[in-house]
Amino acid sequence: MTALLRYQADLLLRSQRWLPPVILYAAFLGIGVQSGQPVLDSLGYTAAGLLPVAAWLVRICVTGEPDAARACVAAARGPARAHLACLLTALLASVALGVVATVVVTLISDPASNGHQIRVPLLRAAAAGLPATLTCALLGAAVGALTNRPLLRSTGRAVPAMLLGALLAVVLTGSPAQAAVSGLVSGSRTGRAPLPLLPAAGATLLTAVAFAVAARLTARRSP
Amino acid sequence: MQHDLRLTAVGRRYGIRGPWVLRGVDLTVTPGTLTRIEGANGTGKSTLLRLLARLDAPTEGRVTGRPRTAFVPERFPSALPFTALGYLTHLGTVHGLSRGTARRAAGSWLERFGAAAYAGTPMAQLSKGSSQKVAVAQALLGDPELLVLDEAWTGLDAAARAELERAVAERTAAGGAVVFVDHDPRRLAGAPEATYTVLDGGLELRTDSGSSPAGPLTLVTVRGPAGGQLPPDAARAAASAEETAPGTYRLGIAASHSDVVLRTLLTARPPWHVVSVAPPPDDPAPNPGSRP
Repeated sequence: MTALLRYQADLLLRSQRWLPPVILYAAFLGIGVQSGQPVLDSLGYTAAGLLPVAAWLVRICVTGEPDAARACVAAARGPARAHLACLLTALLASVALGVVATVVVTLISDPASNGHQIRVPLLRAAAAGLPATLTCALLGAAVGALTNRPLLRSTGRAVPAMLLGALLAVVLTGSPAQAAVSGLVSGSRTGRAPLPLLPAAGATLLTAVAFAVAARLTARRSP
Repeated sequence: MQHDLRLTAVGRRYGIRGPWVLRGVDLTVTPGTLTRIEGANGTGKSTLLRLLARLDAPTEGRVTGRPRTAFVPERFPSALPFTALGYLTHLGTVHGLSRGTARRAAGSWLERFGAAAYAGTPMAQLSKGSSQKVAVAQALLGDPELLVLDEAWTGLDAAARAELERAVAERTAAGGAVVFVDHDPRRLAGAPEATYTVLDGGLELRTDSGSSPAGPLTLVTVRGPAGGQLPPDAARAAASAEETAPGTYRLGIAASHSDVVLRTLLTARPPWHVVSVAPPPDDPAPNPGSRP
């Protein structure tokens, strides 16, 4: 699996197809986050923005190889494992991006609640922000896994489904991402930083199921 | 390979209501054998190869056995952001080699196929033939237990075509199974243990071509220890063997297999003496890979 992950990560890096989502995410943060704003509010925004980026990175990873090259790798390691490597590479890239964004946002934000009344220690804020970011990265990867090859193979269906899925995952009540983000936003009002461990656990479970479904279907629904 | 790869009553169709491409296919691929699959365009040869390489799961029936597999696609696109050597090193590690071993193996396979000069060339700049050489090298890197070749010779130059035939002979001699599709009837002529024809979604064993070698034969005269019997591996790979004097044999060997047979004889214990090697007498052009 390590060899597959290295291969996929190298493919992602060298293809430079990661640039558009990363630049868009940076622009999104640049517009929404300014230094001196309440830290928890900004972290909620940072986490929510990562979800569609994670889904997009999954799309980049699972469509990155030409069919023939994918067949060579799948013959060596099995199509399910080859597909799982694509999904995990995208997830790891999203998590790395999210961690960097969370650290930067935490450092430039004001360690206080809305209205700058209650003090929120930066470490406490980061401890609340990182699980939320992880939740959104996981859920975005799950949305990407379920709305791309092998489940939806035509671009015309995959991209709208992916965008709609990402939107619903952020706003729909009951979604772990929505729970984690709204926890941060309301925490910014009350000045108490929540630890969104339950949403993170839920997102992990959902993503594991989504990845398993996508990997299992790879051999059934190809090419 | 630990076990045979076995297809039992296998059927495959694309989509839930799609027509059956293959149905009721039974096939066993045993270690050390060379199997040829024939059939007109669009009959399902590639689908069968994808099932054998376990890229696709069958819609019905069962596939059992999981040899270490390598696959060579018919057309290998070069739209990958690596150099030839970089890609092959990655694929070598995917096939289970260490990074250093993969790099060395990649270099030597590129050299065998006459593409050593392109090792540092970005894949996107490779010609069609050169990228096909990369595809072939990728599959041979890890000494696979099962090698599946989907018209792998297409686009290769004459020297590389002959080299690939020799590599296939080496693989089967080393106990690997090879399954191939090629439209040139002279490809590895006489060598396959079994030839199947894909017809109307089913598989038929061809019995007429398997026994009689069609290609030109290299004539090799060897002498063994007094009263020595020809090593079984060599006897199997040779198309004909005739004992001209006690302990002396004249072998007719397909051009692709001559190296393998000679290696077997020379490394046998006690080693055999090679008296003479003669090119095929009725073959004016020593070019086994040429096409009409």
